[in-house]
Amino acid sequence: MAILEAEHICKSFGKTEVLKDISFSMEQGQALSIIGSSGSGKTTLLRCLNFLETPDAGVIRVNGETLFDGKTAKKKDRNIRKKRLHFGLVFQSFNLFPQYTAIENVMLAKELLARERPDYKEKKRQLREEIRAQAEGLLKQMGLSDRMGSYPHQLSGGQCQRVAIARTLALEPDILCFDEPTSALDPELTGEVLKVMRQLAQRDMTMVIVTHEMAFARDVSDQVIFMDGGVIVEQGTPEEVLNAPKEERTRQFLARFSDR
Amino acid sequence: MKKMMACFLAVLMLLSMAACGGSADKGQETSKAVEAASFGASEEGAEESDMAYVKEKGVLVVGVTDFAPMDYLDESGEWIGFDADMARAFAERLGVEVEFVQIEWKNKLMEIEGMTVDCLWNGMTLTPDVTEALSCSNAYCNNAQIVIVPADQADKYQTEESLKELSFAVESGSAGYEAAVSLGLNYTEVQSQADALMEVAAKTSDAAIIDSLMAAAMVGEGTSYEDLTYTIGLVDEEYGVGFRKGSDLAEELNQFFKEAYEDGSMMECAEKYGVQAAIIEQ
Amino acid sequence: MEVFWEQLPVVLNALNVGFIQTLKLFFVTLAGALPLGLVIAFGSMASFKPLSWLARIIVWVIRGTPLMIQLLIIYYFPGLVLKNPIWGSGESGRFVAASVAFIINYACYFSEIYRGGIQGVPVGQEEAGLALGMKRSQIFFKVKLLQMVKRIVPPMSNEVITLVKDTSLARIIALQEIIFAGQSFLTGSRGIRGVVWPLFFTAFYYLIWNGIVTVLLGWLEKKLSYFQ
Repeated sequence: MAILEAEHICKSFGKTEVLKDISFSMEQGQALSIIGSSGSGKTTLLRCLNFLETPDAGVIRVNGETLFDGKTAKKKDRNIRKKRLHFGLVFQSFNLFPQYTAIENVMLAKELLARERPDYKEKKRQLREEIRAQAEGLLKQMGLSDRMGSYPHQLSGGQCQRVAIARTLALEPDILCFDEPTSALDPELTGEVLKVMRQLAQRDMTMVIVTHEMAFARDVSDQVIFMDGGVIVEQGTPEEVLNAPKEERTRQFLARFSDR
Repeated sequence: MKKMMACFLAVLMLLSMAACGGSADKGQETSKAVEAASFGASEEGAEESDMAYVKEKGVLVVGVTDFAPMDYLDESGEWIGFDADMARAFAERLGVEVEFVQIEWKNKLMEIEGMTVDCLWNGMTLTPDVTEALSCSNAYCNNAQIVIVPADQADKYQTEESLKELSFAVESGSAGYEAAVSLGLNYTEVQSQADALMEVAAKTSDAAIIDSLMAAAMVGEGTSYEDLTYTIGLVDEEYGVGFRKGSDLAEELNQFFKEAYEDGSMMECAEKYGVQAAIIEQ
Repeated sequence: MEVFWEQLPVVLNALNVGFIQTLKLFFVTLAGALPLGLVIAFGSMASFKPLSWLARIIVWVIRGTPLMIQLLIIYYFPGLVLKNPIWGSGESGRFVAASVAFIINYACYFSEIYRGGIQGVPVGQEEAGLALGMKRSQIFFKVKLLQMVKRIVPPMSNEVITLVKDTSLARIIALQEIIFAGQSFLTGSRGIRGVVWPLFFTAFYYLIWNGIVTVLLGWLEKKLSYFQ
């Protein structure tokens, strides 16, 4: 069974149609890359999956459970917070909380969630220690064991993005989404972020990656989607889409990239 | 540390909201009380009788400034002075309490028309402007507008003619101001007579025109203005007490002055503050 | 000189009483204007247009007119025009009226600072919180509040120091704050007449108080400098 199914997603901002009937699905453990020029709607699609934007129509299912259905969706969804937890989102601009240290950034959301447990009061100490241990483990995995007590402004862009990835992983999402995770980084810093993402793919983390790193998409992805003008133009394996595109628009887009 | 600070800020905000609520309540209470007082009065005809209004609320509010020897605070913070003592006696006669309220003198007409004070009893010169806007008592005290100059130059300025070459500081709208205008002097308007004196002391003006009673209190030995003195008197003027336009309290006060003059209590009071020479027969 | 030493305790006593009024006005204004400013700030950012227009018009009128005029209007208008002197004539009524004027005036200045502080926190902070499954209230208190506070402390410091000095404007409605008290010795108060130094001496009170305020706010600013 597919872990994620998106069907007929539509979204407009005012009169501008940004997403026009987008459908795709992916399996557990897969990495899906979405490419396309800016304005093609790929970031909006990612934001719809995380419910930062509400689609105008369409269905989103995770593990067969319908999280969103345009026909029945209400304006105010009380459960939207829980639904978001199926997804994690890593932002282009990191969006770390500047007043917290690296490890506090990783722990914060999980601690707040733990407070909602009925047994929080009795187990407070133990829960906090568990959360801290998990955060330490994640930061170590990101190669940041020596920067746990640093504040974001004391870290490089690449380090910040790795903290942000750890922060997202702490909530153990089913699907991890990346919104151009290396676009805000100096070229010499992209490598360290791509490296941890590659590790995650190898460990069969289910990932949706909006990216401009074609080589990386080719290496890591199981599936590639090329979007343009709010529609999916081409979809397939990296070999199919990136090496032997069928559509003219895809070819033009890729040509512009190889020029650079 | 951050958590503590966040807590601290949250508490601060809550406290400030509570405090805000508290002060607003207090304001409402005060306003209700005053409303009740004035409402009652207007119901029972404040239009006809100001005296009835004052008796109704049981207190005569006297607008004053801290100005020896007419109204001033003694060492213990009590209001004394010739005017203050007379006002106290007048309130006693009306059968009401007396309350002295310090006001900003230039706002005196707003204070009395806005009903925040009932009378102006503070060595007030009866200028045409004042008698026009207020119902005033008969004059009870003589005063003059006199010229203040540095003591070492006093000899040179003993005639009106000699004043033309000086620059004057005068209180805006005061009797001294009117004197300066009518004599065609060079003058600068300042906010108070005290400011006018400071101008001379600081040599930003050559001379000032102020009340003789105030001059007696403010210049000479033991003051900050030891180097100043007064020369000639320009205009004679008289002091009176001001009430709201159309108030029947003015007539009542005239009656009181008459009785107090006849039984000698007025002069007795005047002697206490050294103004007996200036008192006008009632 | 002997006279001076006799006068000193009397003068200091009167100045202290005046300064307590000054401080009372200062604290009451802060206590009222800090929360009211937040209300006005949220009002001016409201998506409901009439509300945001109303808030912006209030801010425009209050910031566009002198505080001195506002004091005169608030204290004298009810009695002069409505023939109902709601504030009363005594010192306490004058204090309440002055507080109302100062709270409204400073709330409008504070609201603009708050607005800058709130809008200055990047949208990404809210989005990151949402994507991490946090409640909006948690995002406000745990993520945005401290960042807002850090942003508003420097402009707030300026306003607070201005407030210390602006309290002297309340003497226009005869609130007996410290300058009023200092001036009373010119015209003969408490047996001291024609003495000018108390008026100038009041400056030291302001100076010392502003020193304390500056140190406290500087400390707060420093405490918040651990992040950027």
